[in-house]
Amino acid sequence: MSTIDLQHLVKRFGAFTALKTMDLSIEDGEFMALLGPSGCGKSTTMNMIAGMETPTQGRILFGDRDMAGVPMGRRGVGFVFQNYAIFTHMSVRRNLDYGLRMTGRPAAEIARRTSAMADLLGLTDLLDRPAQGLSVNILQRLAIGRSAVMEPAIFLLDEPLSNVDAAFRAVMRTELKALQRQFRQTMVYVTHDQLEAMTMADRIAVMDHGVLQQVGTPLQVYNTPANTFVARFIGSPGMNLFTGRLTQTAAGLAVDLGPLGISPPLGDAQAAAANGAKGDVIYGFRPEEVALADADHPAMTLPLTLTERIGARTILHLGTPGAEVRAVFQSGTPFPPGQMRLAPAPAAVRLFDAASGTALQAA
Amino acid sequence: MAQIELANVTKRYGSITAVQNASFTVADNEFFCLFGPPLSGKTTILRLILGLETPDEGQVLIDGQPVNHIGPAARNIAMVFQNLALFPHMTAEQNVRFPLVERREPEARIKARVADAAAKLHIAHILHKHPGQLSGGERQRVAIARALVRDPAAYLMDDPISALDARLREEARVELKRMQREAGRTLIYVTHDQEEAMSVADRMAILEHGSIRQIGAPDALYDAPDSAYVARLLGAPVMNILPLGTLAAPDRPGATQLGVRPEDLGVRPTPDAAATVTSVEPLGGYTVLTIAAGGQTLRAMLRGQPAFQTGTPVSLTADPERLHYFGPDGRRLAG
Repeated sequence: MSTIDLQHLVKRFGAFTALKTMDLSIEDGEFMALLGPSGCGKSTTMNMIAGMETPTQGRILFGDRDMAGVPMGRRGVGFVFQNYAIFTHMSVRRNLDYGLRMTGRPAAEIARRTSAMADLLGLTDLLDRPAQGLSVNILQRLAIGRSAVMEPAIFLLDEPLSNVDAAFRAVMRTELKALQRQFRQTMVYVTHDQLEAMTMADRIAVMDHGVLQQVGTPLQVYNTPANTFVARFIGSPGMNLFTGRLTQTAAGLAVDLGPLGISPPLGDAQAAAANGAKGDVIYGFRPEEVALADADHPAMTLPLTLTERIGARTILHLGTPGAEVRAVFQSGTPFPPGQMRLAPAPAAVRLFDAASGTALQAA
Repeated sequence: MAQIELANVTKRYGSITAVQNASFTVADNEFFCLFGPPLSGKTTILRLILGLETPDEGQVLIDGQPVNHIGPAARNIAMVFQNLALFPHMTAEQNVRFPLVERREPEARIKARVADAAAKLHIAHILHKHPGQLSGGERQRVAIARALVRDPAAYLMDDPISALDARLREEARVELKRMQREAGRTLIYVTHDQEEAMSVADRMAILEHGSIRQIGAPDALYDAPDSAYVARLLGAPVMNILPLGTLAAPDRPGATQLGVRPEDLGVRPTPDAAATVTSVEPLGGYTVLTIAAGGQTLRAMLRGQPAFQTGTPVSLTADPERLHYFGPDGRRLAG
């Protein structure tokens, strides 16, 4: 069984705590993304799973086997780094079949597995080319192939796509997912790019400042973020968040958002979630979940400051410094000039505790 | 104030033609983007404008004056490089001051210009730090501030934010656009990220193998690409371009390929339909479906989180107005 269990894992470097008490269970054949900004502890976690770093406290289990004291080479993991390590003096084929040759596999098996992997990654035509002189994109693809051809039960990838160009990154996302579906390895994938995590992962572990913030499927972390950090980090752009004060209006419970005015009345679920809260809350809504409101409906009236039309989607930047709102519409939606009246869909509003940033939920 | 023009410029390195007969005019105060895959000539064009390279043929003109024979220093154009090139042993402030100190500007003027640039880029609070103590986004702002203090006629930027985290890139591109509007300068910008290019550019030039394929506002290029090449470069997921006949669609004389953007495809579960959903990617605000139809693979992008299952037979629809037709040479056929 290629499950990975992290139990009370802690890593300190001198006085600096890189990882604070991480508990995470990764299932056999699962694609788990470790997602967060630079310095969140995701690579430290990965390095401990690989055996490159020793935990300060806690345990790592593969199946029911404790990995304490097991060196990297004997953990049976495949590892791909951000900076590919390719032997440039060798051909593509020699790079690709390197591991198989080192483990003394029969020649026929080496040939079969190498050509299958080359096919899968579109490297077949390049097999006899020297690695030297190939593009960064192809080299990174080769690095992934060289590790994957060993069919490791556990495959660790640390930001493998951050050095390739944007168009190629989209292609590789699809290929990596197909690769994992085919071999059903347990995959742990470190990234700072929420789109990569959302596209590929079965579940996402969102991290910040050495603390695991939330674990869930892409839609769980998008729809019900555990706190304001996850709310902001997931989504493109992230969730709009404003501190406000609960207030009773004629139409029901709402939030006084200061410079943004009074929010439209909360929906039933949000009102129930707000019930335990007193006074200040953080009011959140996704940029995709707002609609233009007509004059009869309660709405926030905001000046439009910048428009980004990015193909199918148009991102509007509205509001004033310190109270900026982003809204996403389908391109082609007609907008009135100047001030816009926007209302978040009531069911899409999320409330968070103003002090801790933790999501408020109905009891 | 600067209008920048390339007139039939060709640049060769030995047997390689890096730029082939390129012509365009960047208007004063325009945010102009050069976009294309790696090695398509973007950076060479920047170097030609900056004066680090001389054209083999054609002219570079600034405000209508040919500058082929004028060196980089006399062109008053500021460059922000991909690697930012900050001096690591200097504080952020010393880095920002550097171009003015080099020019022996009076101290009072240096102070005023640095304060102005620091305010515009929100870096006043980090000026005392060294580059090593700054985040990627902060380093980028310092590098841009250093370009800003020179008061150049134009800025050139070579993929200046590609090293940032994805989230910071989204914020940085918006800041760049605001900064360029406020500073009111001509900006020529190289990126390989189509989303970034479409976000920031007033107009963009699409390059392929050193040649300019199309120039226009991002909207115009996205909605009416001249060729299948341009169509594929803009948009994510990329435009579906299929052999004519894969989908039931009105014919057009001379067309061999039909293009339809993923967001323009309507998808409806229909028993016994010929197309099948092969993968569902729920991405929160939208959902991407991969669909097998007529031996081809299509992507559809739907708003929100519709519940589709892998294996579901679906029928596909599209507004005929939103279809693109291409000939055997990849050129767009007008309707």
